[in-house]
Order: sequence, then structure tokens, then C-alpha cells
Amino acid sequence: MAAVEPFAHFERETHTVNGVKTVVLTAGRGQPLVFFHGAGIWHGLKFALPWTERFRVIVPMHPGIGESGDDPAMTDIHDYVMHYLDLFDALRLDKFHLVGFSLGGWLAANFAVEHGHRVERLVLVGSAGLRGKERPKGDFFSLPPEQIPSLLVSNFDVIKPYLPDNPKDLDFMGERYREGATLARLLWEHPYDTKLPRYLHRLTMPTMLVWGEEDRLLPVQNAELWRRHIPKAQLQTFKGAGHLVLDEKREAVDAVQRFLS
Amino acid sequence: MSGNIRFDFMHFMPYIHLPPNQKEHHSLWVDFPNKYYDPERGRELYQRYLAELVLADKLGFDAVVVNEHHNTAYSMMAAPNLIAAAIIPQTRNAKICVWGTPPNLEYPNRLAEEYAMLDVLSQGRLEVAFPLGTGMEYWANPISPATARDRFRESIDIILQAWTQDGPTTYYGDFYTYRYLNPWPRPYQKPYPPCYIVGTGSPETVELAGKLGFGYASVFVTKPRALELNQQLRRSAAQHGHQLRPEQLPLQVITYVAETQDKAEQEAIEHIRFFFEDALRTTPTFLAPPGYLSVDQLKKRAALADKLHGGFNFEAINEAFFVAVGTAEQVVERIEEWGERMGTNHFNILGAIGNMPHWKVVKNLSFFAEDVMPRLRRGAGLERRAAAE
Repeated sequence: MAAVEPFAHFERETHTVNGVKTVVLTAGRGQPLVFFHGAGIWHGLKFALPWTERFRVIVPMHPGIGESGDDPAMTDIHDYVMHYLDLFDALRLDKFHLVGFSLGGWLAANFAVEHGHRVERLVLVGSAGLRGKERPKGDFFSLPPEQIPSLLVSNFDVIKPYLPDNPKDLDFMGERYREGATLARLLWEHPYDTKLPRYLHRLTMPTMLVWGEEDRLLPVQNAELWRRHIPKAQLQTFKGAGHLVLDEKREAVDAVQRFLS
Repeated sequence: MSGNIRFDFMHFMPYIHLPPNQKEHHSLWVDFPNKYYDPERGRELYQRYLAELVLADKLGFDAVVVNEHHNTAYSMMAAPNLIAAAIIPQTRNAKICVWGTPPNLEYPNRLAEEYAMLDVLSQGRLEVAFPLGTGMEYWANPISPATARDRFRESIDIILQAWTQDGPTTYYGDFYTYRYLNPWPRPYQKPYPPCYIVGTGSPETVELAGKLGFGYASVFVTKPRALELNQQLRRSAAQHGHQLRPEQLPLQVITYVAETQDKAEQEAIEHIRFFFEDALRTTPTFLAPPGYLSVDQLKKRAALADKLHGGFNFEAINEAFFVAVGTAEQVVERIEEWGERMGTNHFNILGAIGNMPHWKVVKNLSFFAEDVMPRLRRGAGLERRAAAE
């Protein structure tokens, strides 16, 4: 089992959204900041604690990931956008900052394209969703599961406490396999959204792009691709950080905080 | 054994000319570089393998079985219907079993058409099995493994509608829309060729076979698991009002017959080793792409894989699977015993094992046809046992 509690200081609420169990983690006070996590949340939210000093940080677990329930009928990103419209109604959330990481960045970009009036400021961190020329060497799906964690970071020690001692731990493998299935439903056949560039001009809210310079999953060149479609977005990249740039670099977390404040 | 006993000859048509460094490759599937495929040697192998299938017909096998795999040296039958079309005019009596194309990896109308063509061409000798496809096929094809089972069900539904209802009909599904489902030609056999589902026995597919009244051909499952599957299918078929016949439960038997047991083992084991150690070698990730298995199944199979780890061991394979390597008498005895235990009279004989040379395949099939088949057809084993008691 993981050596640390991945969601320490966060409170847990469970909602049922269209029949799907949806766990929402919340910490802090202030303006609401919604964080859309990536295709896994096992590496915890410790990085987000500084944000909780100024914001009410709200982290819903996506259906099919972490502690939220499965809904095999959710087969595209838009299903997740609709899911979050319902959840935000239930939470009485109107306007908020939106930070999305990786798969969550793709989702955040879609949400903001469609419902821009609800997003004060948008931050996309190592975001998936666009078809770049820079493809990673090994695609995420075809990697042996025990190799994925080390691919996510530049410094393995950052995530080590959240991993089981045995890299072939059956329960851990099973949970990741379940999340892999969720991801496969969304993007096995189309690991990017060819339509998204058509609509990114709708991101008129202040927007920031954050990337780890040693990202081996979605290389940093992808950041330029996003910026081409969102020319006003400010870009910050961080040396010595991989895909999990927020987990690895406190400076990245602080930069996001400054941007949102 | 009740009813007419039946023997199929199954071929995998492997590409056996592997490079000397093949063991350095973690898998002979999916990413095994196709630069190792030499078309000239491939042509020779096709010619040889087709001759072996035709020989099986001449020797009196009741059926020949071909199947589909992609991106692999394990099998050169990426399109088994082409192989079936090539052997139909060269065979007279044998049923042609295409076991088969994963219906979710092909447009269902096209598959309904192709199978109908083969059935007409062969004057009703076609049998069809629907596989979900191994996990490896999903790395080679552009279809999501996460929706594979739903697509599988819908595709079979469309094919059966095309075969059973006068066209044109319509179909408005989750995956496919047909404004004019009206395939020409239609199957020769009425209402359609005998159908099976073929697989390693996930509960969902067994249940589907039961619902549709199909047979179930389990492949590469252990003896106790095969028995369990047959029982599950009987239950499920009965629940859906189908009376399952013994011939709907083909039993896959790795078979080699020779003059003595020693000789049989001496001649066969290296090829069985090649089959398990090399031809079947792949990675857990290729075996189970995301969403292909339930989480429970994944954990069960991962635990099992760890147990089986440790290299080839003929005794263990012999114990775990249906393997009949020995004299004609021994093979007769085993097949008879398994037939009774499994409640089947339909045996799918894997008689061209791994990288076996042509002469061994010919020898094996000939011994089987001359010394094993007649005794089993007469029920000679039963008589012998009765006499001994």
C-alpha cells in the first residue's frame, strides 16, 4: 500500500450524478478553483495544498478514475463536460478558476470552449487533446504498467511514496487497468480531438499554459501547439520536471497561484 | 460417445523461419518486426500448409479449421476467408471451419457476405466461429478494446439478421447503421451455417453463446476450466431454451501419434515447446489491452501468469491441457476418456504443431486417420475396456 495518505487535508463528499458515484475532494477557503486531474489521481494532491491557502480547491474525481464510479456509456470528452455541468449545478458552482492537467487539461479546454462565461481563468498543465507532430516514443497504452510511473516524472522520489512496494501489486495493477479502460473508451480510437483547434479561439478568458520541460509523455513541444491556437495564452515551462510538473516543481504551483490571484 | 464422432484438423499456418535472435524479442505478436517475413518462404509455406489441409480431407478428417490473427509469426492467416476460398475447390467432403474473423474487427455486412459466399462455394460445408479476438488483435486493428464486447454483440446481431430475415431490412445500432441490409449472396445452409463462439472462456461470451444457441469452442484453457465452461454453456443454453448437442462443444486436443510413446514424444516435444515458448510468446500488456478484460479477470490472469512463469515443461503442459502424444492406442484412450468427461464427440485436432516439418505433419495425420479415427468411430476403445473388465 501507499506509504502516505494521498488526499490529506481534503474533505471528501460523494455525489450521485446521473447515477454515477462522483467523489469530490475539497480543501481551503476563498474563490473556487476547480482542478481536473489526469487519467489517474493515485499520486495524490499534496502539490495543491499551497492553493488551498487562497482558494477553495475542488477536485472532482472523474467517473472511471480513482474513487468515483464507472459509467461505460461515457465514451467521449463531451460526456464528461455534461457530467460536470450536472455536478456543478449540484455544488452550486457558477464561476470558478479552472485548472486542468493532462487528460483533465483536454477536458478543461472543452469545458471552457463551451461554457467560457463560467471560467474566470484557465490553466492547462501538460494538456492532452491536440494532435502534435511530437509523438511520445512509446504510447501510454502500450507501456507495461510498471513502467508508467517512472515515465511521468523527472524525479521518481516525488511519486514513490504513492506507489506500492511491489510494482506488480495486483490491487494497484487492477485499479490502473480499470482507469486504462476508462481512458481507452475515451481515446483509444482517437487519442486527440481533431475538431478542438477549430474552437480554441473561444478561450477568451486569461489562459496559462504550464509544461515540464522533461515531459516524456506529452513532450513540451505540445505547448507551442496550444499557443498557436491560443495566442494570448502565457506559457511557462519548468526545467527538471516531467509530465507531473505540478507534483515535481513547487515553482509551477506558485506560478499558477500568481496567475490566478 | 453419442452421435457421430467428429474430427477436425486445425492449422495455424505459422511463419516458422524466425531469425536467430528471435528470443530477444519479447513477443512474436504485435510489434515483432515484419522485416523478418520473407514472401518467397511465405509462399512455400502457404503451398505446404494448403496441401496439409487438403490431405486432411483426403484422409477422412471431417473438417478443416482455419483462424485469424494479425501482426504475428504465429499465423499467416490474417484473412482466413482467403484460405478457406483456396481450399474449397481442393476438398470434397470436409467441412470448412472459419473460426474465424472477429466480427467486431470487420464490417458485419461484409462478413455476412463473405461467409455466405464461402457457404455457397462449398455447397454448404461452411462452419463459422466468432471470436472476440485475442488482446493482441486490438493493437493491430483500429478498434477500441474497451468497446469490443458491445461491438462484438452488435455485429453478430447484424450478421444473424442478414442471414435470417429477407432483405432489405434496416438496422439502427450503436455502432452501425444499415439503411439497406440486403447482402447477396445468402448462405447455402438454412437458416445459416452452424455457428460457434470461440474463445478462452470469459463469462460474457459463454453466456452469449448460450443465448444464441451457438456452440462454444474453448481454446488454450486448462482441463478443469474447459469442463467448467462446458457446464456453464449447457446451463446457459438450457436457460435460453436451447438443447445443446455434444458436437457443439469442440474439444481442442494437441495430438501427435507415432509408433511408440518414446518416438511420439521425441518427435513432437520440440515443436510443442516452440509453440508454447515462442509462437505464443507475448507480453501481458499485449494480451490484455485496456478494457479488454474485466478488472477481476485481469487480476486472476495476472496471478496465474506469475504461477506459470518458469519456462516450458512438457509434463506440466501435458497435465494442464488436452495433450495426446503417444501411440494410437494411448491417443484413442485419452480422446475417448476426455470425450466422455467433457460430454462431447467433436475433437479439434491440433496436428500441425508449431514449427513441425511437413513429414511429421503427414505422418501424424496419417497415423491418426488410419489407427485412431477408425477405432474411435467404432467405439473400439469402449469394447476393449468392456472386454478387459
